[in-house]
Amino acid sequence: MRFLVVDDSSTMRRIIINTLNKLGYQEVLEAANGREGIDRLTTSEIDLVITDWNMPEMNGIDFIRALRAIDKSKDMPILMVTTNAAKDDIVEALRAGVNSYIIKPFTTDTFKEKIEAVIPR
Amino acid sequence: MTAQPDLILQLVQATEDVFKTMVFRAIEPVLPADSDGKRPRSNVVGIVGFGGSISGLVAFYSTLDAAQEIAGSMLGLDPADVNGEMPDAIGEVTNMIAGGFRLRMAQRGETLAISIPSVTVGSDFYTRFATDVRRVMCPFKMGDRDVSVELILTRS
Repeated sequence: MRFLVVDDSSTMRRIIINTLNKLGYQEVLEAANGREGIDRLTTSEIDLVITDWNMPEMNGIDFIRALRAIDKSKDMPILMVTTNAAKDDIVEALRAGVNSYIIKPFTTDTFKEKIEAVIPR
Repeated sequence: MTAQPDLILQLVQATEDVFKTMVFRAIEPVLPADSDGKRPRSNVVGIVGFGGSISGLVAFYSTLDAAQEIAGSMLGLDPADVNGEMPDAIGEVTNMIAGGFRLRMAQRGETLAISIPSVTVGSDFYTRFATDVRRVMCPFKMGDRDVSVELILTRS
């Protein structure tokens, strides 16, 4: 299974990649914003996208909308990892097409549970 | 203390949560105190603003050594191997503390929006905020290092 982690913070990308590695997922690609994320997606095979919300160039919500408009990623599982934890934020993300939502800070157990809930069986 | 004790408790708990789950380091809170005029010894300051039903800033202070340790722990690196990643790591720590504070306040019916974080790294500088604010410093012990989180509230 190959993941794409999209976050403008190199620290958060590293934490997410370390967490995925700990859970046994070794294939992870990175992007620093939504635009780079779309580039990665068009040139690589991705199974699951993990994205931040607040990013320069293209934020997470616009990125998710863009993914849902692309045939290749219209049904791809997308997880959002963010500090935007208000109910309205979650509703906006779900409307944009996110499958699940992880609020920072998170534990490895929460991360595992959310990943397993959206992985295609 | 002039700020509401409940707000300070939320900030302290948000900070402990971030250190436990994302920094992977235990911290011990020390008694918070009004911080008008006080400056913690720091070379690294992360700031996130918030606005809404209450408004102000959350500021995170640490020494350079403590900041390197925090970044190393988050990244899974030896502190000596941390190079340019430290400001980004401190920005994320501040962002998550402010985000946790925002979430806790939302559970109490306070709606807040938070800014993106900014981080200052250097020496011989101090942070000056508008005078009409209430400031409470929440110090923590991280092993033998000191870090602090300050809640700065506008008086409106």
